[in-house]
Amino acid sequence: MLPRGLLLVALLACAGAATADDNPFLQVAGSEFRSALPLDKHDTVRVRSFLLQSHPVTNREFLAFVSMHPQWRKGTVPMALAGADYLGAWLGPLDPGPRATAFQPVTRVSWFAAQAYCEAQHARLPDWYEWELAAAASASRRDARSDPAWRQQVLDWYSRPAGKSLPAVQQGAANFYGLYDMHGLVWEWVNDFNSLLPADADPEKFCGSGALTVQQKEDYAVLMRIAMLGSLRATDTGHLVGFRCARDAGGAP
Amino acid sequence: MNRWRNRLGSAIALLATSTLCGAADLPTDSIYQLGAQLTTQTGNTTGIDLYRGHPTLISMFYGSCPAACPMLISAMQAYESHLDKKSRARLRVLLVSFDAARDTPQQLDRLARLHHTDPARWTFASAAEPNARSIAVSLGLSYRRLPGGEFEHSLLITLLDSRGRILASTTKLVGDTEFQARLQSATQPQEHALARSPAAPGAATQLPPAHDRDSSRRGHPRTNRAAVDG
Repeated sequence: MLPRGLLLVALLACAGAATADDNPFLQVAGSEFRSALPLDKHDTVRVRSFLLQSHPVTNREFLAFVSMHPQWRKGTVPMALAGADYLGAWLGPLDPGPRATAFQPVTRVSWFAAQAYCEAQHARLPDWYEWELAAAASASRRDARSDPAWRQQVLDWYSRPAGKSLPAVQQGAANFYGLYDMHGLVWEWVNDFNSLLPADADPEKFCGSGALTVQQKEDYAVLMRIAMLGSLRATDTGHLVGFRCARDAGGAP
Repeated sequence: MNRWRNRLGSAIALLATSTLCGAADLPTDSIYQLGAQLTTQTGNTTGIDLYRGHPTLISMFYGSCPAACPMLISAMQAYESHLDKKSRARLRVLLVSFDAARDTPQQLDRLARLHHTDPARWTFASAAEPNARSIAVSLGLSYRRLPGGEFEHSLLITLLDSRGRILASTTKLVGDTEFQARLQSATQPQEHALARSPAAPGAATQLPPAHDRDSSRRGHPRTNRAAVDG
């Protein structure tokens, strides 16, 4: 049996060391945006220009992170920050296991772990509006949400049964911004995941408008994502939940 | 110069030791594991665990909220008012604003005075992103800035034991008798002392309920409900 350390070295060596260039931060131009979320008395939300990583964070990138940050290794992270199944398939703190490949998106990571990863890259998790804006683009249009063919293509992923192992990132086409896998690979954590839809429709519990009706009811793919994110707790580690990081266009997170 | 350096060195070593030990003797499910930073009404920077060692009521709010947030503060005062004097003296109350830009220490201090809270046991503080978000998600409290500048947020009062574990929470501003009872028992002297002593062996590794850990699977009940309702 190979020592664990050697496996780690092998995984890093096969794929080369993870660098920032592997997953570049790409510009997403700001826009007055019609979100699927309820917006108080407003029809649109102003999303400022920001940068978003080209694809979901991979096993290789996350391995490099836990190598540098021991407090985020499997077996070390306190329960307050990640559930018992954190990095569930990993065989050891620095061993993603024999079935993991370098360019698969990392999953079974809690919101706290995703946030810590992004902070270590001098970045942050994208807000929902940012993610939604970036995900509204097809290969040729900034906002393809009114295109029935594109919508169907996105929806098809949700009806496809989950395969045994996740494909690698960047297998499909890039969208308008050069971003990969906004749909069709994994769900992704966003910064404000727990505040998209109130957990409970009781208006007494809410300070603002508390309007609960979702706009754009035809956009099922986005609605499913909102509902899924809203059902998660920050320590949850779903086997289809990954993430990517964002930065302000100015440079600081 | 050398002496100063040595002192600095010892200070850093001491700080490192105390920080490490601090995390080590916390239960693994304590929200004090967050290490989040707050700015208080006196302008001091402090940790989320400033009331470690005491049972604590914690909630989040924003100061310019017109109606519900003053009600939240009154509600917390009402819950503690039902305690006897000695129990109340053991309790601490921490209100954290997620609107750090507007809730300056001066604003927070004004609020504290407005509500006549006991400064020895009550702290008004604010947290900037990403600390505010981390605290909110740990408590299960949601907030979202609306385009108009107001916040939409849930009203949630959480009771922590002296080591930062969540004992109970309520969304009822008045008359949650179960919550009141939990508060009552958490502020009893023996409970208080018990929670301060190190946890029993094994307690720290206790696992959460195994059901429904895999929230990403399709057909999650809440996913279905929202999709249908939507």
